[in-house]
Amino acid sequence: MALAGALMVLAPAVVSAKVRTCPPFHLKTDDGKIINPLTGENADQPYSTRQTCGACHNYDQIIKGYHFQQGWDRIKDDFSPKKPWVLSDGMMGKF
Amino acid sequence: MPGVPGCGGCHPGGGGMEFDRDGKRFDKRLAAEPQLAQSLDGDYYQSKWDKTGVVEADCFICHLPGYNFKERNIQLQNLNFKWATVAASGIAEVTGLVKDDQQPKVAYNKRLFNENGKIVLDLTYPPPSENCVFCHGMSDAKKRGFSWNDRVNHDVHNLRGLSCAACHPAIDKQHNFAKGDENVSSVRNDLDNTMKNCRQCHTEGYMGAPRPKHLSIRPNHLDKLACEVCHIPALHVAAAEGFDVTTGQIVNYPKVGAQKIGERFTWRPRYVKGGHKGEKIWPVNPMLPVTYTNLNQDGLYYPLYGKEIGKGYAKIKDKLEGKKPNRPELHTPEEIKLMLAALSETLKGNQRFQQVKPFYHKGGEIHFLNDKGEVASRKDDTWVGHTEGFNINHNVAPAALALGANGCGDCHSDTAHMFKGQIVTDMFGPNGKPVTISAGRLFGCAPWAFSLNQFHQLYLTPYVSWGILLLVFVLVLHYTGQGPKVADFYAAPGEIQRFSLAERWTHLVRLITFLVLFLTGYIFFYNNVTMLRLFFGSPAAAVIFHWVAGLIFVAASIVSLFLWYKDALFVSYDREWLKQHGGYIGGKEVAVPAGRLNAGQKIFFWLTVVLSLIMGMTGILLIFKSSLPLTFTCLLSTVHGFSAIILVAAIIAHAYLGTIANPGTWSAMVDGKVSRLWAKKHHSEWYKEITAEEPSAGEGKPE
Repeated sequence: MALAGALMVLAPAVVSAKVRTCPPFHLKTDDGKIINPLTGENADQPYSTRQTCGACHNYDQIIKGYHFQQGWDRIKDDFSPKKPWVLSDGMMGKF
Repeated sequence: MPGVPGCGGCHPGGGGMEFDRDGKRFDKRLAAEPQLAQSLDGDYYQSKWDKTGVVEADCFICHLPGYNFKERNIQLQNLNFKWATVAASGIAEVTGLVKDDQQPKVAYNKRLFNENGKIVLDLTYPPPSENCVFCHGMSDAKKRGFSWNDRVNHDVHNLRGLSCAACHPAIDKQHNFAKGDENVSSVRNDLDNTMKNCRQCHTEGYMGAPRPKHLSIRPNHLDKLACEVCHIPALHVAAAEGFDVTTGQIVNYPKVGAQKIGERFTWRPRYVKGGHKGEKIWPVNPMLPVTYTNLNQDGLYYPLYGKEIGKGYAKIKDKLEGKKPNRPELHTPEEIKLMLAALSETLKGNQRFQQVKPFYHKGGEIHFLNDKGEVASRKDDTWVGHTEGFNINHNVAPAALALGANGCGDCHSDTAHMFKGQIVTDMFGPNGKPVTISAGRLFGCAPWAFSLNQFHQLYLTPYVSWGILLLVFVLVLHYTGQGPKVADFYAAPGEIQRFSLAERWTHLVRLITFLVLFLTGYIFFYNNVTMLRLFFGSPAAAVIFHWVAGLIFVAASIVSLFLWYKDALFVSYDREWLKQHGGYIGGKEVAVPAGRLNAGQKIFFWLTVVLSLIMGMTGILLIFKSSLPLTFTCLLSTVHGFSAIILVAAIIAHAYLGTIANPGTWSAMVDGKVSRLWAKKHHSEWYKEITAEEPSAGEGKPE
């Protein structure tokens, strides 16, 4: 019984250790409309991560990160005088 | 080809796959300005953004376990840009291809939605490593033999349950991740070293990291070697040996001996010194480039684009005999000349250049056409030749597999990769076959010094113990065959002062310090860390003992030089002593003339003085070897070691002759006195000298 009690006390902690960052959420179309396959509402449209994830997260801030820009936001013609063919310090604009 | 990464292989969306150079969404702008597709605007030329949609940042690539990256690539290659995430996430099925002028259709999997029409996904934070490997798997396998969750090409951090994000967490709200110190790529160097390095985690005990003391490792190794050198002794996935762009396409070559990149294949890194890790040595995969540049009027070597190279190659492809069309592997002067001449022709009029002078880079050399149109070559001193190689820092072995875990022989032996491993420096050398070099040569040691050191390490060191045993055996044979000189078997009382207190102390200091030097040096010779720890506590302490003892020994040797040099000068009767071999050979004792020091002692004296000074000078310099050029330290350590062998052999013989071979001799170094009988027997000329000063001294005494 004591063991069962201990397990019950620990159970919430164990569950919370597995981080589920997103509760159930609505998928949204490019123009922000809800997609509901159960009702058929916009169910033929692809979802937009900008609209869907961006509803809770700062999409525009996140995509400033390197993995998204890959140097696109830092391209300039005079990026490297010693290697003029290199236009950024990312994969875009890099030889 | 479905499944092969296109743009989406590296780009998770957002940035340049969503916005043009003016920061406007491609699809919306093209819809508003459809004429752009007909313009020469590189962002829109012949594009279908209005139909394909854009590739938004796909959060599910990283955060959704089970994401189908291959499906994403298929969708992208079929121009279903905005449907790629939908199909790859498995949330819906997508049919129809924009590439075929179809309007893709979407059918959502209703089982993933709750009664409110909300999707229920098991998104994870931090992202699972499997998702990182979508992009970093093959690219890093190619660069450095990387793999993850791989029992064969294991990583100790992976085995302990660490994910990629454990070491590379997000460092800002923009989803930038902590980065290491990639040395070849110039990608976002401002983010370099934003993650904890080996030393930080393993000194702080971060995330439970063990804190090794490395007591069994010689301390200078910790100063000189990056952690990765010892802890990533081998990779078990074939990386790229290099690449060749002669055809206009990048053709990657797997490690020599492997069939293809990414397959099971064990190889060991190349070690380089300097560069971005200061003066440390670290492991790399050089990924040898075979490429072309054009020396422009501004003095810069501009890399040629694939299409520019391809045009040249198309002109000569049919002229090359016995070549695979996609792997020409140009290596003869004739082939190189053909290609460079073709490029000279096809590059004419190229608006990128004010001057056409193509160069072929291969195996650390550059080849070009001289004024006579012939191929000339020189060492590649351009930016192409200065690449350090991709540093290797994943697939870390458990400590038990690290270099040094089985002793110093893991590196310091005739079979160890560290010095004797063969490293490919040219994928197709003059005879078309790979050119290799001993790994140790790449540390910067001149070939002659390296060969000298290797001779010492491989052909002398292994036989030193046998040599000492052989010497002892010969002395035993001498003792049992010839027998000791019996002059003082009667233990006659010491009456003559042979050595002063200063002489005896000097000898004692040399004796004691020699024993310390011999013990430490002998163990250093064999790099036996266990014995170092047993006798001295740690290799570091042993090194200090060796240094201090060495300095005292040299000082005592200099004092002994002043004390005995007059006695050690050769005189005429020394010839007789040498002629008679000192009376030590022949089975019977013969009278041999000798001064205060006999001819043998004189030879020994000068030999040890010279060797002591040589060892002292080389030893003192070796204390500062980290500041000296490698070639010089190679020479110093060889001379030091070789001198040590001779000195030890001489001293063992001296010890024999000074003790059991000549009873009564040792007491001269204890109380300084010898008997008259001993003095007359062993040093007759000296005995005459001292008895001449005291006329009656030699008379009436027993012999």
